[in-house]
Amino acid sequence: MKQLFDSDLELVVETDFIYMPLLFDPEIEREIQDFQSGKPLENPIKPETKSIIKLKGKHFIKTLNLHSFIDNYEAINPYSYQRLRNECLRKYQLTREVDGHFLDETLRLILFRITPYFIKKNKGLNRKKISDEEILDLIGEKTNIPEKYYKEAKTFGDLKPLKKILEELKNQKPLFKMTENGLHSDRKLHDWIHKAIQAKVMASEHHRIEKALKLREQWNQTKPEHIAILLYIADTGSLEIDGFGFTRHNSYKGEYLVYKRTGDYVLKDYYARSYLFPECRVAVSTYSPSMPFVMEKYKHPFLLGHKTGQEICMKDFVPSNEFKAENVIRTLEEGLTAMRYGYNGRKRNGYHSLDKMWVHIPTIDFEDYRI
Amino acid sequence: MTDVEIKKTLEIDEAEKLLPLVLEIIPGHAAEGLIDIYEPGSYEGKSLRKLCDRTLNKKNLSIEEQLIVEDVNRQLKGGKFLSRGQEIEGTALEYAVSEKTEAGEKYLYVPIRAIKPQEGGIRIDDC
Repeated sequence: MKQLFDSDLELVVETDFIYMPLLFDPEIEREIQDFQSGKPLENPIKPETKSIIKLKGKHFIKTLNLHSFIDNYEAINPYSYQRLRNECLRKYQLTREVDGHFLDETLRLILFRITPYFIKKNKGLNRKKISDEEILDLIGEKTNIPEKYYKEAKTFGDLKPLKKILEELKNQKPLFKMTENGLHSDRKLHDWIHKAIQAKVMASEHHRIEKALKLREQWNQTKPEHIAILLYIADTGSLEIDGFGFTRHNSYKGEYLVYKRTGDYVLKDYYARSYLFPECRVAVSTYSPSMPFVMEKYKHPFLLGHKTGQEICMKDFVPSNEFKAENVIRTLEEGLTAMRYGYNGRKRNGYHSLDKMWVHIPTIDFEDYRI
Repeated sequence: MTDVEIKKTLEIDEAEKLLPLVLEIIPGHAAEGLIDIYEPGSYEGKSLRKLCDRTLNKKNLSIEEQLIVEDVNRQLKGGKFLSRGQEIEGTALEYAVSEKTEAGEKYLYVPIRAIKPQEGGIRIDDC
């Protein structure tokens, strides 16, 4: 099929059917003569259309029904269909990732309720509460948002194309015009088929368009720069400002890891000798129950091993199962405090001691952090 | 700048000791806290802890400031004041660094964190 449409052949469209050029050898000529003399086909698909037609001295044979071809294109060429579908959805900013994550409740809570606690919001000595819009302004100032998101924000803000498609779908108007009867180059037919398939994609995305339109109408009064920031976050699923950040969970859809960097810090051992610990990210998952853990491969007296994703050993702390901004902030703070200030050299609390103890228990060595 | 680096830059010269003192009490690991400004002559000779108490007991706070005080007090239940990575003791000047406003006016700045301890983990002897 693909080869036919990628060839240099001229094809004929007649009453919704594609007619292919007919090879001409003596045997075929004989068959045509027989056919034209009135012998009926055994199973005619559409008796009123001719099986063989002659145009500009060439014979063409009836092959595919265009409607059937477009309706079944997804099964005929899944790869090409997917590409066309994605291209079409991108054109109207309807990609599933952006749609699904454009400021869902979890993201909204992280952005507007948790982030402000951990980032510097005011310049100089002013200390005032800032609005959601001001938070987006601040993110815009502190984050390098690629230019393409500003362009996409314009598409996002333009509701006319989606409204038009929706209206046509509601009025049951065909989204594409059938190609004219006659001779067509394969390229021309190829382009028309692509447009027809994209129109079909839009028709199948009826509910999604409605949902997207509703969402965009809600954000219609929002500044395009803010839309660009939100599109960037929805697309990348992550953001980091002033050592605080979040990143979309790989395993759980719609969930995030919220983290804060510790910065470098010093812990002292039993003999008051100092150990300089490198920065790490203490994180909490929005997927409960959410004990704080260290994202990087890391070692610390409160971590059992020296690997990634280890839960911090906490005392008298049970994280709340309820996903609320104050719970996430509190859990993160407990984790950060434990890491930076929790170790007591004199008590040697934790899984490991900073100074070497002459006991026969395999433990983690911190000598390389000594300063 | 990390706490470790800041400690190296804590020395302020004699002339700077006459500057106003800006105290910021920050709850937990928040980025911002409650700001209080002490004019020259009003803070010298007083312990930093006393200044903190005075700031936290100030009247006529805005709603936003009251929420910060609540947060600080929650952290202080069994918690402590830390500045530059260590528990505060002595005077403000021992923790102050010289900074400038956008208008170029100099002041001394002392950030203090109210941290609720989290002792994390088990004692090594208990293993």
